[in-house]
Amino acid sequence: VSDLLLPRSDVGEFRKRYKWLALFVTLAFVAVVGRLFQLQVVNGADYAATAHENIIRRVPLPTTRGMVRDSYGKILASSRPSYNAYIVPGRVMPSARPLRRSDLGADEPDAWPKVADTLRLNPDERARIEARIRGACESDEDHSPCFHPILVREDLSRDIVAEVKQHQGDLAGTEIVSAAVRFYPFKSLAAHTLGYVAPIDSDKLAHFRPDGYEQMSAEERARLNPLGYEPGDVVGATGVELAWESYLRGQRGWEKRVVDARGRYRTGPEAQRIIDAPARQDPVPGRDLRLTLDMEMEQTIERAMRGHLSGAVVVVEVRTGRVLALYSRPEFDPNDLSGGGGKARIRESFNKLYADPLRPMLDKTTSGAFHPGSTFKPFAAMAALEDQKLNPDERERCDGYLVFGRRTFGCSHVHKKVDMREAIAESCNVYFYKLAEAVGMDRMARIAAEFGLGTKTGIGVNPESPGRVPTRSWYALRYAGQFQIGFTLNTGIGQGDTTVTPLQLSLAYAAIANGGTLYSPQLVRSVETGDGLVVQDFPPRIRQAVNVRPENLARIIEGLYGVVNDPKGTAFEVRDPDLDVAGKTGTAQSGYIAGENDDPRIAWYYSRNHAWFSAFAPSKSPEIAVTVLIEHGGSGPTQAAPIAMQVIREYERLKAVRAGHPPAQKPSAQASSGKAAARGSGSP
Amino acid sequence: VSTYFGTSPRLLSAGREHFDWALFLVSALLAVVGVINLYSATSVARAALTDMYIQQVYWLVVGGILATCAAVVDYRHYERLGYALYSVGIVLLVLVFILGRDIRGSSRWIYIGSFSFQPSEFMKLFLIIALAKYLHDDPRTEGRSLKDLLIPALLTAVPTFLIMRQPDLGTALILGLIFASVCALTRIQLKSIVSLFVGVAVLLPVTWSYLLKDYQKQRIAAFLNPEANLLGTGWHAHHARIAIGNGGLTGQGFMRGSQNQFLFLPDQYSDFPFAVFAEDWGFLGCFVLVSLYGFLVLWSLRVAATAKDRFGAVLAIGVGSLIFWHAFFNLGMVTGLLPVVGVTLPLFSYGGSSVLTILIGIGLLMNVSMRRFYVSPSRARLLDL
Repeated sequence: VSDLLLPRSDVGEFRKRYKWLALFVTLAFVAVVGRLFQLQVVNGADYAATAHENIIRRVPLPTTRGMVRDSYGKILASSRPSYNAYIVPGRVMPSARPLRRSDLGADEPDAWPKVADTLRLNPDERARIEARIRGACESDEDHSPCFHPILVREDLSRDIVAEVKQHQGDLAGTEIVSAAVRFYPFKSLAAHTLGYVAPIDSDKLAHFRPDGYEQMSAEERARLNPLGYEPGDVVGATGVELAWESYLRGQRGWEKRVVDARGRYRTGPEAQRIIDAPARQDPVPGRDLRLTLDMEMEQTIERAMRGHLSGAVVVVEVRTGRVLALYSRPEFDPNDLSGGGGKARIRESFNKLYADPLRPMLDKTTSGAFHPGSTFKPFAAMAALEDQKLNPDERERCDGYLVFGRRTFGCSHVHKKVDMREAIAESCNVYFYKLAEAVGMDRMARIAAEFGLGTKTGIGVNPESPGRVPTRSWYALRYAGQFQIGFTLNTGIGQGDTTVTPLQLSLAYAAIANGGTLYSPQLVRSVETGDGLVVQDFPPRIRQAVNVRPENLARIIEGLYGVVNDPKGTAFEVRDPDLDVAGKTGTAQSGYIAGENDDPRIAWYYSRNHAWFSAFAPSKSPEIAVTVLIEHGGSGPTQAAPIAMQVIREYERLKAVRAGHPPAQKPSAQASSGKAAARGSGSP
Repeated sequence: VSTYFGTSPRLLSAGREHFDWALFLVSALLAVVGVINLYSATSVARAALTDMYIQQVYWLVVGGILATCAAVVDYRHYERLGYALYSVGIVLLVLVFILGRDIRGSSRWIYIGSFSFQPSEFMKLFLIIALAKYLHDDPRTEGRSLKDLLIPALLTAVPTFLIMRQPDLGTALILGLIFASVCALTRIQLKSIVSLFVGVAVLLPVTWSYLLKDYQKQRIAAFLNPEANLLGTGWHAHHARIAIGNGGLTGQGFMRGSQNQFLFLPDQYSDFPFAVFAEDWGFLGCFVLVSLYGFLVLWSLRVAATAKDRFGAVLAIGVGSLIFWHAFFNLGMVTGLLPVVGVTLPLFSYGGSSVLTILIGIGLLMNVSMRRFYVSPSRARLLDL
């Protein structure tokens, strides 16, 4: 009992220390409280803002790319949904996972064989994807590729999509994701002009998103990247798709969503409570474009050109400069290049297109420059008339050739004595050699420049070739002062170093036809909203007034009329008696020199002349100008002119149909059925 | 004979009379708030975690029973058995190396069937008892030299070393701090204190180079430069701080803290429950909670000051320092005052061994508190002793 009643050991040693310990403890907890005050009360708002940012994510909302229509509303480019199949390797084939191999039983069967069957994968694809699955699942940690979806098949048919949806239960780890794919209903028709779309390339992306872009302020980012490009975005690659990208693209929107630390979205009222205003910004759809093109005309051209390997056709409105048709052959199908058929199809298509010696990717209407041949003669003649270097009514003698110095310059045949009108109509070279010699190179160049040759037309789509109208100084630079008069003679007949694009030539002929107004080519008529409201309307633009006298123009037109309508005219044989056409044929040397190893058949083809025909109609009150170029077509009058005639005939027919008077001999049910029916009910 | 049985009716009657209601109520309050907070912390976690708070209630019940046992047995029995208990603790720590299983790079657990426990947790109590016994048996009052501290230092060093090898930096640190706290109670010669500090200054770089594991070094580095690696080791501290700040003055409300609800707080049930509490209840709630811990620690100092012998005083100081260092290090770690070391928050963190250790410790405190009174001979007669 005693040791309970008495203190057992002396605790005096400790006595003085307790208050110091108490002080220490108090200070420590005061420090903690002080820190809490700092975090929660002083800086509380900042941390609350950070906590809010942690769980709010702005999810981008996709926009839709604008549509492109032709002049009459036919859809040339739109977006369609495409369905791609993705699989999660670890879920579609659990047996490939290491954890499953050791720990788990056979409770999760592999859905893969059934998935492969449903997606109709061929044995090669099956083996390839199986190898990928096994590769991805070497580890099955949370963030390993084992749980990253992989794309197995693109652009599924609706049947397969329906089948996958129906059997979703048996197809664990398979997901169908829809994505918008650019769709060109007319396929290769006008493909060069329309262009195609492709995922944004790294150079372009780096231009819009330079290093440190993510850290920049919102204003700075908007300045550098006004269209909001992001990796993987689909953008215009060529043609209208590229040139009008900023109109077609639209603006992405966003929506705030609640997301947890593992990146999963949370829904429900609790999550909605957290989202602050503004909760959403709607995407702005891209603008639609209405082009000046007429697809019915394009279709006619395509049919007419089927017999030829390579060439170009341009149709412009004489009094507006509006481009009714741009056709370049061979063509490509932009659907193949825009992702509809999957990556493999794109690669394959590009390989094929770039291996083709006829250069299908080149837009020959604007990017290709060719010797104009005799289609240049009206401009040479105009130079002579303007400078009064010769009397157009005076006849020159053509013996079929002209000897000049030590060189002989040939003609197609002996024309005997011809005046200017006949020389144009019959395309006499000798007359023009003499004319060129009298006029001189620089005067011809001045007139050619007046008509817009040698400079870009400014169509704004695709890289445009300026062509070339050589001058004496150009030759002085090129040939180091060794100017020969032969250069001038060749220039007079559109050979030598003169080159033009088919579009340039069309506009120049349009300027002849309309009395001397050179228009800028117009391809886009208007910008419209999705429901057809016109946002911006583009009137025709005059590029320059051609500085020539009207009576001289009349003389040239007389010659061009003779080409088609004079019995000795080069195109008389292929004229259409119903049509009133004036134009000029051309047969230009291609400049090809066969190499020793060239296949003779290929050499034969390439050494053939380019066939030209540039015309306008009707000749009295011209409406359209047409230029046809058939590369290596042989002869302008026999190859190019008939195609131009078909185009002009189609133009007249369409005009009549659209005005409500379909020509009796060729009723076109397809084009006029609507109007015909309407008319039919109105007037029995 | 009856004096050696603390459970004798006469002593119990004395105990009932001196029952420490303040200690009991504050501890019980902390335990209840801890369970409620655990419910909030685990409410959004995976299914396996959602009944964690029920597990915690079980542990609290078991701990309460053990604490009652620890309180009713006269603490002088613990003094008698001091070194024996200490030896049991050391043996268990050695067994960890033999029976332990690797979890996240360290083995801290002993598995017996489906039951598992952490000997290092209980070692804290055994060390306190052993230190108390040593100081009780060595009742000198003049200043102690380093030589005099050698044995208690060794008593601390052995388990500390074993625990560091597991490795478990937090627990090793707590053992060292318990020893330091007990030393602070005794009178030590000035030159000893100076040489102790010099020794620590020498030992620190050695510890850094040879004893600390890479992940431990990373955590300290993350503390010193928290923004450097937000996705790696700095993640916990960073998001815990955001959660606390997000609480503001009055908190987001029970189970409404977004940092926790949206899974930005890893280890929200073990090392970071305070971040959940702070986010839910704000500065006002935190102030109350910190005050409760402060009260508990200061109360243990009062118990020590009124203890009737050195063993009781050191026992109370030991348990008080155990609670203090756990609370202070955990709060300091969560608020970013201190580096991230795995130290639990008493009665808030989930964990059987931890809960049992703290509750038994509180039981011991209660034990000392109830027996702090001299029984005057007249009163003893009155009680018919």
